[in-house]
Amino acid sequence: MTKSVKVLLVSVLLLFIGSVIAVIIIVRKPKGTYVEIVQNNEIIYSFDLSEEKNRTFRIAGQQGGWNEVRIEDGKISITDADCPDHTCVKAGVLRSENIPIVCLPHKLVIRFADKEQK
Amino acid sequence: MAKFKTVVMTSVFIVFLLCGCESKAEPNVSDDISMTRDVFAMDTFMNMKAYGSNAEKALSEAEKRVYSLENELSVTSESSDIWSINHSQGEAVTICDDTAKLVNKAIEIGDKTNGALDITLYPVLKEWGFTGEEYKIPEQSVLNELLSYVDYSKIDIEGNTIIVPEKAEIDLGAVAKGYTGDEIMKIFKENGVKSAIVSLGGNVQALGSKPDGSDWKVAVRNPFSPDTDMCVITISDKAVITSGNYERFFTDDNGNRYWHILDPADGRPADNGLVSVTVIGDCGLDCDALSTALFVEGYENTKDFLRNNDGYDLILVTDDNIIFYTEGLIESFSNISDMEAEVIKLD
Repeated sequence: MTKSVKVLLVSVLLLFIGSVIAVIIIVRKPKGTYVEIVQNNEIIYSFDLSEEKNRTFRIAGQQGGWNEVRIEDGKISITDADCPDHTCVKAGVLRSENIPIVCLPHKLVIRFADKEQK
Repeated sequence: MAKFKTVVMTSVFIVFLLCGCESKAEPNVSDDISMTRDVFAMDTFMNMKAYGSNAEKALSEAEKRVYSLENELSVTSESSDIWSINHSQGEAVTICDDTAKLVNKAIEIGDKTNGALDITLYPVLKEWGFTGEEYKIPEQSVLNELLSYVDYSKIDIEGNTIIVPEKAEIDLGAVAKGYTGDEIMKIFKENGVKSAIVSLGGNVQALGSKPDGSDWKVAVRNPFSPDTDMCVITISDKAVITSGNYERFFTDDNGNRYWHILDPADGRPADNGLVSVTVIGDCGLDCDALSTALFVEGYENTKDFLRNNDGYDLILVTDDNIIFYTEGLIESFSNISDMEAEVIKLD
């Protein structure tokens, strides 16, 4: 084997390993951190939880009322609201892709964003 | 040098081949695009998702149908059929086709399950406060008095005319959402949608399979920890409907839990060994009615039901933390909880 063939083989090998690593990184891109806050079918916030700063903010209902949303260490929850049942507050932090946080009286939904949807 | 070229070309070819793994085939772009719609109706949160170019039109029609069904079937809206029936004082009332269909189905499932489903339980449900927010534990004497008017077999229904005895009141809460799912599927089909999935307050119903041809994955909640899932099943063209003791309940000062699925036998929360019943089948209405009825029936009677009726798969959770599922689910069931899961043996 000539020297140039060896160099070529090594570079092909490196290219191969490099692309394998790249594929792994792309595939393992953290999922389940994109979240949308939807008020009566209108997306009012959407963000990547893993990049959001800790903060608490209020969302005013379209027909009055409010919900207080907290983002803390990459997790999102409704911490307070003026609705009668407080189901949204009791739901705690958003965990499941199948179970959104819902405030029925204020038509507010917090859920993981669908990857298939743009 | 020819050999050298071969090596280069082969290597480059292999690298391209490997990189090609990531590219996705997109046969039909419009069939792959989904639209979603949230609907806040029937005291619950509904989410519908449909694929294809007609999705938006189909979703809008489905949303309208949900609101019209709510108007017909709501127990609290004064313009509903149910309100008319409950304020008829024993007189004949004319009802629409949907209401008649649901009443007939509820009677049929009641008959099939030893009266475990009884739509005339409404006055008892009200007494417990499950229809509002003020819960209370009624005296057994009060329950007995109310139970004397509870008997779905006294409903007289002929075509679109119904007579419900004086002092009896009905409520279609145990069947309305299942039927709504069926009607949404019908509208989707009429609009040429081939792939869709809806969740009506946790009741899931799917039209066809995913656009890529694979089955939908549907999670069922863990009744002991309702913000987590206990198992996942794969389905296409099916309804997956659960009745659980975690859906609406309150606890007294001693920590006893009282839930909204009542046993017509004593008017108290049904406590016959099951804490969650999931019914999987083609018809949402049947599955909805059965999930409530079998919850009341308990494990042994549910096995009897399975011996005499086919076409349904079940996932049951007993109060001693065991998941039981029917043989038909062996291929599609995966347990993601720390509970044991066993196949139901019928012999």
